[in-house]
Amino acid sequence: MERTLMDRRTFVQVTASGAAAAALASQLGCLKHFEKGKGGTEARELVVPTTCEVCPNKCSVLAVVDDGVIHKLNPNPESPRSRGMLCARGNAAVKQVYDPDRLKQPLIRAGARGEGKWRPVSWEEAWDYTAKKLSEIKSKYGPQGTVWSSTEGFQEVFFKNCGLAFGSPNIVRHPTLCLASVNLAYSATFGTVPAFDLVNADYVIMSGANRFEAIIIPDTMDLIGSVMLKKAKLVYLDPRFTVTASKADTWFPIRPGTDMAFILGMLNVIVGQGIYDKDFVAGYTTGFDKLQEHVQKYTPDWAEKETGIPAKEIIRVAHEFAAAAPRACYYSGRRSSWYQNDFQMRRAQAILNAVVGNWDREGGMVPNASIPMGEYLFMPWDDPTASRVDEIDKTFPLAAKGDGAYLKLRENVLSGQPYPVKGWMVYKQDPMNALPEQAKTLKMIDQMDFVAVIDFQMSDTAWYADVILPESHYLERTDPMEMMPGIWPAIVYRQQVVKPVYNTKPNLEIIQGLAKRLQISDYFDYTIDDWVKAQAKDIPVQNAFDYLQKHGVVVTPGFPKYGKTLKGDYRFITKSGKVELSSDRLQESGYDPLPVYKPPTEPQAGQFRMILGRRAYYTHANNTNNPWLHEFDPQNHLWVNPEPAQRMGIRTGDLLEVSSRAGTVRIKAHVTDEIRPDCVFMLHGFGKHSRWQKLAYDNGACDAQVLETSWDQVSGNAAFHETFVTIRKV
Amino acid sequence: MKTIEWGILIVNYLFLGGLSAGIFFVSALATYLQEDGQPAYPRIARYGAMMAPWPVALGSFLLIFDLGNWYRFYKLFLHFRWESPMSIGSWLLLVFTGITFAAFYAWLPEEARHRLFAWLPKRLAFLKRFDLDLSSWRRPLAMLGFPFSIGVGIYTGVLLGAVQSRPFWNTNLVAQMFLFSALSTGTAALILALSINRKSLDFKQIRFLYTLDICFITLEFFIVLPYLIHGELSVRAVQEALKLILGGPYTVAFWLFFMGMGLLLPLFVELWEMKPVLLARATMHHNKVLAAGAAFLVLTGGYLLRYIFVYAGQMSSFR
Amino acid sequence: MADKGKKKRYALVLDSKKCMNCKACVVACKAENGVPVGKFRNWIDEEKRGSYPRLLMTFDPGQCMQCENPSCVRVCPTGASWQRPDGIVLINYSECIGCRYCMIACPYDARYFREDLGVVDKCTFCVQRVDRGQLPACVETCPSKVRVFGDLDDPNGELQDLLSTRRYLVKKPETGNGPQLYYLL
Ligand SMILES: Nc1nc2c(c(=O)[nH]1)N[C@H]1C(S)=C(S)[C@@H](COP(=O)(O)OP(=O)(O)OC[C@H]3O[C@@H](n4cnc5c(=O)[nH]c(N)nc54)[C@H](O)[C@@H]3O)O[C@H]1N2
Ligand SMILES: Nc1nc2c(c(=O)[nH]1)N[C@H]1C(S)=C(S)[C@@H](COP(=O)(O)OP(=O)(O)OC[C@H]3O[C@@H](n4cnc5c(=O)[nH]c(N)nc54)[C@H](O)[C@@H]3O)O[C@H]1N2
Ligand code: SF4
Ligand code: SF4
Ligand code: SF4
Ligand code: SF4
Ligand code: SF4
Ligand SMILES: [Mo]
Repeated sequence: MERTLMDRRTFVQVTASGAAAAALASQLGCLKHFEKGKGGTEARELVVPTTCEVCPNKCSVLAVVDDGVIHKLNPNPESPRSRGMLCARGNAAVKQVYDPDRLKQPLIRAGARGEGKWRPVSWEEAWDYTAKKLSEIKSKYGPQGTVWSSTEGFQEVFFKNCGLAFGSPNIVRHPTLCLASVNLAYSATFGTVPAFDLVNADYVIMSGANRFEAIIIPDTMDLIGSVMLKKAKLVYLDPRFTVTASKADTWFPIRPGTDMAFILGMLNVIVGQGIYDKDFVAGYTTGFDKLQEHVQKYTPDWAEKETGIPAKEIIRVAHEFAAAAPRACYYSGRRSSWYQNDFQMRRAQAILNAVVGNWDREGGMVPNASIPMGEYLFMPWDDPTASRVDEIDKTFPLAAKGDGAYLKLRENVLSGQPYPVKGWMVYKQDPMNALPEQAKTLKMIDQMDFVAVIDFQMSDTAWYADVILPESHYLERTDPMEMMPGIWPAIVYRQQVVKPVYNTKPNLEIIQGLAKRLQISDYFDYTIDDWVKAQAKDIPVQNAFDYLQKHGVVVTPGFPKYGKTLKGDYRFITKSGKVELSSDRLQESGYDPLPVYKPPTEPQAGQFRMILGRRAYYTHANNTNNPWLHEFDPQNHLWVNPEPAQRMGIRTGDLLEVSSRAGTVRIKAHVTDEIRPDCVFMLHGFGKHSRWQKLAYDNGACDAQVLETSWDQVSGNAAFHETFVTIRKV
Repeated sequence: MKTIEWGILIVNYLFLGGLSAGIFFVSALATYLQEDGQPAYPRIARYGAMMAPWPVALGSFLLIFDLGNWYRFYKLFLHFRWESPMSIGSWLLLVFTGITFAAFYAWLPEEARHRLFAWLPKRLAFLKRFDLDLSSWRRPLAMLGFPFSIGVGIYTGVLLGAVQSRPFWNTNLVAQMFLFSALSTGTAALILALSINRKSLDFKQIRFLYTLDICFITLEFFIVLPYLIHGELSVRAVQEALKLILGGPYTVAFWLFFMGMGLLLPLFVELWEMKPVLLARATMHHNKVLAAGAAFLVLTGGYLLRYIFVYAGQMSSFR
Repeated sequence: MADKGKKKRYALVLDSKKCMNCKACVVACKAENGVPVGKFRNWIDEEKRGSYPRLLMTFDPGQCMQCENPSCVRVCPTGASWQRPDGIVLINYSECIGCRYCMIACPYDARYFREDLGVVDKCTFCVQRVDRGQLPACVETCPSKVRVFGDLDDPNGELQDLLSTRRYLVKKPETGNGPQLYYLL
């Protein structure tokens, strides 16, 4: 690792702010413990259990508070999900609280959109202004003239409910940027989305689920343990040589977009040679005969041509997989926003898993278990009367209606069809970076009469907003409890660790202030305490509320449990009540009942496919500005394989122009063997517009600017890997 | 090393410390050697005594300036840690600097001394009683100073050579190399001083300095050679470290500027000038410009030696 | 700690194969010990080999080795660098003059200079935590539990268990520093 000189400026900046200075003092304070002869510390410290918010995993945290300042976040070993770990991002959250660049009070735009001129205002003014704008839009276009977009989080429910109570049907959440296709595919097959018992599996196949960089708990920890201690074999497919690839027993640099061919090839072997789980197939599934016929043409030789993986390897993996079953999984992956046929590819995975019978058994796929939890009963509102602007019913009849279809929504808003949408409320989301084709997102902002963002830092979307309502950082607020289903279910609780450092509020209070002015405050007539106390009611531990305050997490004995769905006359939550290998419901909705392979579009000469992926120490686009993380990757680069690089005379460090139909960016080259010659890759979260993200602002390039708009046909999930770019040395 | 921690200030410090040690050594030698109860080389002795304190004083100042906490430098003298070359060296340097200043005082011409005291403000008039003639101390101070000047000369090398984690340094030859380089730069400084002086030249004294310098340079040369040979025959880590000067970033600096222009060229010039003396026992014919040039080259060479060793050494490491 | 009388020798055993280069340990250390941006008490070295598609990539965590015979302590002119009886090598910041001789003398480049305080600093094995019976921050936070911290002199401890049943190496033993980080093979 490069170890460079400290930036004195950063130091001075940090000390400039009062609260930050206190934080620094507490950190420097630790030096005093090392003076000769002195040992131990005074017990001024307070340990507050809470739950990390920096990514969707929700790891359990023990926050150490020293004299009112957070000193350190430690992992809470009680959580069976985070398994006593806290990742780099989780550890770096302290820095966000005391970040001098964070949002410190409500702001109203003073210059043109994106100009960066802000007027600090009181909460009253910010609420009044927001309510006035929303009401104007409502009177002109109806409540459906607003869209309420958000990403998962414990306080998201209040935001969503506010949108619904306001009367807008246009709630749009992150799943169609993330995991909508995989969820829909497994639901269509098993009636539910299972978890994978990686700690007990003997054989795991992963299609680009980069688990050792894209952290998912407990999968990451379970898998690294079993793979490195040789308890499990890992077969990994990815056009990039990721950390996961480097730990796998076999890495196939698969031709992008052809995973389904690999799976169908395996199915051809397993079904054709009769090495599937006959009892399971006979007892619990429907449509096997159709599958048998369907996969006949997908021979390993054919799959070799599509995927670039040798037929004999496909046959070997198929045999090993079938032999290891049921302690074998073809892991589902999480970010399935890949290709236009993503749903069908994930369906093929689900079918492959089903025929080897790894369902609800140790080491296989296990339906999620849960722990009972109470619910706060709030006053219900009338459902919005208008239909959704993304016309999800028509376009994606099988998709989860409540989450919406993000990219289709954006298209319709831009076209003004079926009706105009002029207000945009954003919570805990950065559409400027999370959506492809940033130019369109900017246009969508442009055509809005009003945009408000609730965030804790100046995201790129916030930068273009009209009003910014700063939410308190997760370490400064109490959130609802959450049941985390899984093989090891747990209930986690996020409680306030320190008082807000600046003039910020938790989302519920932000929503309540707004609701009051929108005359819908009856629906939010409760406090966070009422809410969590109601949730604590049914939790099967004594004094659950006190328990959670003390422990931060509730675990009940008896897990993992296997085989519940294999007993007696269990009905799968599918149309047939069985595991649907071939699906009538799909057919009825006009989709292929069995996954039909369609080859991916080929890049033209001089074009590269742009693919995405995570790095272990960043969450999406949202913490490249954290100085403790930024220093690992001071800038993003375009990965280019040496073969095309040589051909084009590109060397590491050369400035490149990367263009697609969506846009053009400039970025430096990183020539590396760790990617296929036909693909390029860049890290997410750089090239920011927001000047308040000093480290990421105009530094490197923004992938969202070049990604094209494309989606999966069935789920509406964004298809992020369908972009071809040309590159040019400048 | 991932960062260079000791930079140009330390190079200067090592050079200046060595320079003082060399000047003092030669001056002390000139004081010690007597002819008919009088110093045999009076001008060398006096020039040396006048010059010796300043480089080391400046060097120590630079060292202190280089510390992370310069105002804590006194802590060096609250401890004596025999395992730490820097601790030993600091004490050595302290005593040595004291001796050089004492010798300076002892060699001050009488009227200069009086003038100095005449400048004293009234309030400090009581100091006037230190206006003493110490010329009788010159020889004892010279003798006392010998071991300390050699000690300081060696120490500048030991400071690096004792670091067992840097294969480039970790040989006892470094201490000797630095010692002879120090003595030779000290001699060169005196040659330079004598040659730029307007006074007519005293061939006897110049010959003395030339003889010394030729000896020191030769010795230095025959330490650098075995240093290279030993290194090449040593363990991998040392071989790799030597690559820094044998086909690495410091190759040109080492061969062309240090070995060529800093060692061999002045040696050649000095030998050439001494040729008549060596061959025919005739009086040497002396060219001031040539002498000053050679002396200057020796000084630059000495400086480069420290530079190369300080930087390259830090870059070297076991694997 | 509880059994005060018994002699202890703290050490760290690392199973680098499990390291994912996730940097959790690095950030945890930064937070726990107030390490300035741009400076590191611990780090992950990467080794990459081969060419597409035959590639190798391994990660190797590094930090102060808490040497048995620490050259940094030996060369320190003021005694600011010192060693506790349990083996932990520490720096007494108020005695450190910032000469950086110890940095140069450390074969593992484990030390860094704090411009803001003018002193040298390095991994302390998180003594402030260890003395209270907690694990060092980097050890505790690691997702794949690459790091095992403990007392080498405890015959029933986990370290003895690992070191007597697994093959391991120490780094640069030829320097004679006696490093106390044991890398499992
Ligand atoms: N180019 C590209 N696009 C992608 C992806 C990709 O890999 N590359 N990944 C896709 C996937 S899988 C996903 S899930 C989405 C994620 O997309 P987003 O949800 O937009 O991503 P984040 O960056 O996690 O969060 C966005 C904003 O939430 C803010 N935030 C964080 N915590 C809080 C909080 O407690 N309160 C409030 N109010 N705000 C908070 C952050 O400051 C940040 O500005 O992106 C998708 N889009
Ligand atoms: N550190 C970290 N962890 C995270 C997150 C984070 O932001 N940072 N985000 C969380 C979230 S919201 C999500 S959704 C998950 C996402 O976790 P993952 O589902 O693992 O998603 P990515 O990291 O985006 O990995 C996608 C991989 O697919 C590869 N790939 C691209 N095209 C193809 C292809 O055609 N075939 C195959 N086989 N592989 C392909 C890419 O090279 C990349 O390595 O991570 C979660 N965990
Ligand atoms: S994986 Fe890391 S960022 Fe995500 S919740 Fe856990 S600790 Fe936080
Ligand atoms: S926390 Fe563990 S896995 Fe992550 S980089 Fe450090 S040692 Fe490696
Ligand atoms: S690793 Fe370096 S700093 Fe640590 S004890 Fe050894 S010599 Fe000292
Ligand atoms: S920098 Fe400080 S700890 Fe290191 S040798 Fe000098 S005085 Fe000792
Ligand atoms: S033991 Fe403590 S000080 Fe040392 S590297 Fe780990 S976290 Fe940092
Ligand atoms: Mo996601």
